[in-house]
Amino acid sequence: MRRIPRGIEAVAHNDRAIWEKCFKRKALDLNSSLFEATSFCVTMGGMLKGFEEVEHTADIALRVRGRDLRELLVNAALGLGTLLTDHVDMPAEAVQTRPVEVDAFDPESLLVGWLSELIYWAEKDRFVCRAVEMQEISSTHLKAICIGSCVPELRHHIKAVTYHNLQIVQTDQGLETTVVFDV
Amino acid sequence: MVDSRAIKRIDKYLYEIDASFRDDMRVPARLYTDPELLEHALGDASVDQLVNTATLPGVVKYVLAMPDIHQGYGFPIGGVVATQLPDGIISPGGVGYDINCGVRLLGTHISEEEVRPYLDELATAIYNHCPSGVGKGGEIKLKTGELDRVLEEGSRWAKSRGFATDEDLERTEVGGCLEGADAGAVSAKAKERGHDQVGTLGAGNHFIEVDVVRDIYDEEAAQRFGLFAGQIAVQIHCGSRGLGHQVCTDYVQRFQQAVQKYGIRLPDRELVCAPLNSPDGQAYLAAMKAAANYAFANRQVLAHHVRRAFEEALSGKVRNPYVFQVYDVGHNMAKIEQHEVDGERITVCVHRKGATRAFGPYHPDIPSAYRDVGQPVLVPGSMGTASWVLRGTEEAMRQTFGSTCHGAGRAMSRTQAKKKVWGGELREQLEGQGIRVRAGSMSGLAEEAPSAYKDVDRVVEVMHGSGIATKVARLVPIAIIKG
Repeated sequence: MRRIPRGIEAVAHNDRAIWEKCFKRKALDLNSSLFEATSFCVTMGGMLKGFEEVEHTADIALRVRGRDLRELLVNAALGLGTLLTDHVDMPAEAVQTRPVEVDAFDPESLLVGWLSELIYWAEKDRFVCRAVEMQEISSTHLKAICIGSCVPELRHHIKAVTYHNLQIVQTDQGLETTVVFDV
Repeated sequence: MVDSRAIKRIDKYLYEIDASFRDDMRVPARLYTDPELLEHALGDASVDQLVNTATLPGVVKYVLAMPDIHQGYGFPIGGVVATQLPDGIISPGGVGYDINCGVRLLGTHISEEEVRPYLDELATAIYNHCPSGVGKGGEIKLKTGELDRVLEEGSRWAKSRGFATDEDLERTEVGGCLEGADAGAVSAKAKERGHDQVGTLGAGNHFIEVDVVRDIYDEEAAQRFGLFAGQIAVQIHCGSRGLGHQVCTDYVQRFQQAVQKYGIRLPDRELVCAPLNSPDGQAYLAAMKAAANYAFANRQVLAHHVRRAFEEALSGKVRNPYVFQVYDVGHNMAKIEQHEVDGERITVCVHRKGATRAFGPYHPDIPSAYRDVGQPVLVPGSMGTASWVLRGTEEAMRQTFGSTCHGAGRAMSRTQAKKKVWGGELREQLEGQGIRVRAGSMSGLAEEAPSAYKDVDRVVEVMHGSGIATKVARLVPIAIIKG
């Protein structure tokens, strides 16, 4: 049985059934308390969604929230995952872990650099990231393990993540930003 | 937001925003439009984006919006920005993520009546021969090092592999190869994204369409371009695929820091740029040219696939199934060109993002067969609606750095379009109009619903009426092939 590395940050769906189907029962030996501990990454404690799709004329945009930069980056990756595929099932034998390191200039370029890595993988072999183990993070650097699988087909072809009006802003609950993808 | 009162009408189809409108503007902004299209444009951020481009270092004369302008990222789509060499800027955002996205028009000797009985077979054959869909690879396997040749030689590489004729190359913008492309300036990731996509259509708004030339507006030019009423023609609309997207991504990221180095202040980070004479500017220019060459090669291989499909479906059934090339022109590109500004001939970098080059008669860059009538301009409409062939004019050289519109321009978001239109229903509607549809994805079809776009006839009327690019022929679709 494969194990997800310890300290995993979040899963793509805040739905216990899906979580168990994807990770626990079928695939991975994780305890449910870890699920409780990480689910806020997606839902912000049930108050606000960690990410949601918003309207943009020519493209697709994602509003992303997090209590800190770590959460924001994780939620952005998971949000991108839902744009890329409807497939929630991730059979045990298909689970892959991929290391990634991004260096950037400021938090916004870190976010763009990070999502660009995931878009590159999506196009290369349809790998979609469903969970993240964030190992190191600062405002200009991150090191993470992405956990996901290669899906049979992608829902959207995402060309790129853009800097269009990109700004990570401080809110009462933490950080928020809207990322526009060119499709 | 730009207030409509700040926009002065200076001619029937020409509007201007004075350079005094905002402190950081270096030049005025001009819009080719009409009252209804202008209202559309003011409905999103596109005019603000146009004003933003007027702040870029080295920008000359004025920045321009074509009638199909709509909101992009950083630069508006349907914008033209010229910057002066040596130290004016080049911006990856001024080209866009799909570098050298463009249109190729193929002509035939087949009439509509001849093809009608076999239209289903033809549509299916094209769909089968031309790989399409999200992230789909093609059948062309490149040997080690061969991708670098595609990047540096463009359509010439395609010819060496037997996918092109001399005439095809002659009838492609810049002969299908931009000189000065450097495969070394393209990242390994970009190459990885592009290595198996040569000769593939992709998804999104890209398509292949079988058209009928419905109306001729300019007999002389049409004859020269090989077009006649009732003729079957084919349009191929696509670009540099994942490779181009990654090149843009890489350089937008790299330039985030470069703008600080060169002390450039910007109203939007997507406008990042570097002076053309800097190492950063030169690297992007060489990489962009490589991606542009990839796009020329891609459309060339697709044209080869279309030819095979015509032979397979129509051989022995029509008199002559031969497919020839009319022209191929990009609408997302930055080109180093000579233009006259204030009575002086200067070298500029013309960024055309969602805008088509439209050189007037006797320009040396026009194929000799068309030289005295002007460059063919290809303006695809939205799915199921008309497309246009125009010709470039002297007026375009004087007013717009030899540029015109590129299509209908989106008026509704993809999500909105999908809410309003169901893919299956749209397919039935198109089929009801006698248009065959071969599409990999129904939701992809709905996103491109004609109602999500502006009226292409209206857009073209503005360019024609202002004398920038004049009408030659109007095409209507009879088969649509999409990812």
